[in-house]
Amino acid sequence: MSMINREVAWRVFASEFNESTLEIEGTEERAPSYLVTPLGAKINRLYAVGVLTEKENIGDPEEPMWRARVTDQTGTFFVSAGQYQPEVTSTLTNMEPPIFVAVVGKANTYKPDDETFLTSIRAEIIKEVSEEQRDNWIIEAARSLKNRLDVAMEASKMDEVSVEELVELGFDENLAEGFKQASEHYDSIDFNRYERMLEDSLRYVLPEYESKSIEDIEQESEDERDEDLEAFILDVIADFEERENLENGVDYERVKEKVMEEKEITQEDFEESVNNLRSDGKLYEPVLGNLKRID
Amino acid sequence: MQEKENLAPHIEDINRALNEKLSEEQIEEELRTYTERYGVPLGSAKRSIVKKYDGDPQELYISTDKKIEDMEGDEQGLNLKCRVVSIDDKEIEVDDQPKQIWYGILGDDTGTIPYTLWEAKSIDMEKGDTIKIENAYVNMWNEKPQVNIGSKASVKKIDEDEVPQFERQPQKLSLKDLREDMRDLEITARVMSIEEKTVNTQDGEEKQLYSGVMADETGKAQFSAWHDFGISEDDVLKVKGGYVRSWRGVPQYSFDENADVQFLDDDELPNKEELQQTSAYTISDLAKRGGAVDAIVEAVMIDIKSGSGLIFRCPECNRVIQKGACRVHGKVDGKADLRVKGILDDGTGALTVVINRELTEDILGYDIDRAMDIAKDEMNQEVIRDDIEEKLIAQPLKVRGNVTSDDYGLMLIADEVDRQSIDVEKEAREMLDEVRV
Ligand SMILES: [Zn+2]
Repeated sequence: MSMINREVAWRVFASEFNESTLEIEGTEERAPSYLVTPLGAKINRLYAVGVLTEKENIGDPEEPMWRARVTDQTGTFFVSAGQYQPEVTSTLTNMEPPIFVAVVGKANTYKPDDETFLTSIRAEIIKEVSEEQRDNWIIEAARSLKNRLDVAMEASKMDEVSVEELVELGFDENLAEGFKQASEHYDSIDFNRYERMLEDSLRYVLPEYESKSIEDIEQESEDERDEDLEAFILDVIADFEERENLENGVDYERVKEKVMEEKEITQEDFEESVNNLRSDGKLYEPVLGNLKRID
Repeated sequence: MQEKENLAPHIEDINRALNEKLSEEQIEEELRTYTERYGVPLGSAKRSIVKKYDGDPQELYISTDKKIEDMEGDEQGLNLKCRVVSIDDKEIEVDDQPKQIWYGILGDDTGTIPYTLWEAKSIDMEKGDTIKIENAYVNMWNEKPQVNIGSKASVKKIDEDEVPQFERQPQKLSLKDLREDMRDLEITARVMSIEEKTVNTQDGEEKQLYSGVMADETGKAQFSAWHDFGISEDDVLKVKGGYVRSWRGVPQYSFDENADVQFLDDDELPNKEELQQTSAYTISDLAKRGGAVDAIVEAVMIDIKSGSGLIFRCPECNRVIQKGACRVHGKVDGKADLRVKGILDDGTGALTVVINRELTEDILGYDIDRAMDIAKDEMNQEVIRDDIEEKLIAQPLKVRGNVTSDDYGLMLIADEVDRQSIDVEKEAREMLDEVRV
């Protein structure tokens, strides 16, 4: 039967999603493309639930284009909504972080350079949900992750990953194919880390491991993001220094320009991070207007 | 059976074919070795013995009666009691001369076989006749055995009772294994529901149809009985001789007055409530099957499509109207209705679900009149759809109904919609236990 089946919405944790670097373009006309995670989830569409920690309008007030961050217990989904998603855009306009949200959308990738592979969700649906619904989602995503780890376990017993054998063992053909493609693309996947992620996620919903308040999650997400940004600024400076053999530091404006080009941040974010780095003794100004690392 | 057969005429037959080369005792011993020790059919045994002693098996006259399903394709001197299923004639050329031959199908209680009648002169047979053919031979034609009635053969009419009616053992199947175009099936199932309808057949005739849903331990199927067997709800039936038709991916078991319907004891199958639960499917399974009757799907609602909520229908044709106008009947006074068209996704696949007015009212917690009032107050009928989104999106649901498929994918018409409350703690602990092993 030549049925057009709607693409399934994968439940994956942010960390696995963001570690994906394998994109498979549809070969036929209008064929969907997929992002394949290290564990073989072949994602065209996904369904994610987490905390909306921040949002930023990168369009104008009349025609907003939202970039938002939705955080689960493993990491952050980068969510975008533009002119082709008017309902999502207007919903986001009226949302005030922090709240629990559910997002359904298409997997999107962005490669600013050869080494950087950024993943995000182009939202089709966004909705405020309850904590209970968030917990339901964690269970679903955990079950899905566990299924992929089961595939990995069975595949590890084979000399060569065989889609046929995996299907015979009862796994979905699509997943078996995804796993094989992933195993050919990613080198040294740390399965233990995903096992820990699974266990941590399951504990997260148990009463004895008191789950974090929405404010804690927001703070953690912010801290984590700040640390990421600071490390990135140091990398940019090091890069300039090495390439141009600069001894008296790198021009502040050039650093700012490069960082803002690659990270979705405001000028204030940048300034704040540079100040943090200076007060932590990681940066100084050898010449006025130049930034240099302290090793 | 062959042991009981009187061997004397066959021994005589072999003796003649071999020009009395062997003694009758030797022939009998050979014959018993073949048939009793090695289980070779009598006809083959005779042929083999004649060949073994350099005789011509064509010289054998008497053969044993053979059933059609036992034909191997090299029988000589064949005797066969059968029915003439069909007979046609055609003209061929033999030595530049036109010659008329007859061909068709012969059948007995074990199967059917094609035949060719090479000599018509003294032979008189018609479709439907029950006949005994003597001294025919069988060869392979298009890789199948074919009976040849040649000049040495004879055909005579016999009593109809001498050939039992063709009867194939029906195939026993579970309901989940029903597939389009299967026939001669035997199923055992409980009647979950039944209704009587009057339908018009293709010949313009009115017929009574008894249709409904039946279930066994493996699943459910729709059924259609074209005869009043006196079936009622909750009966446990064994139905032999039905066939399968499929409508939009949903297999349907049909049977008529030729079927054998037996009423079994109630404890032959689990009760109705238990059987009700047999048809829980993942959406990926449903996609593979193409549909299912009275299926149960557990999934999350991830989208509410436009055309959901408060809608207006044309009073003439029931189409949904836009801005007070039907695309066939123009400006009409629309009838208000409520419905949900949404996407259910369980992580294995996605399908479209359609929820009717009554169930939509349950979901909203108010009826259509209240929905009209709310829409009037807000001066916007879309507020009802927004309310549905609010109540259903990201909500795990258990939905029961028929699943069909067409070019646009799977569609579930809901008969029952329940919010699922998931015991997160229990699920998490169970999964943790499995991971720790
Ligand atoms: Zn109309």
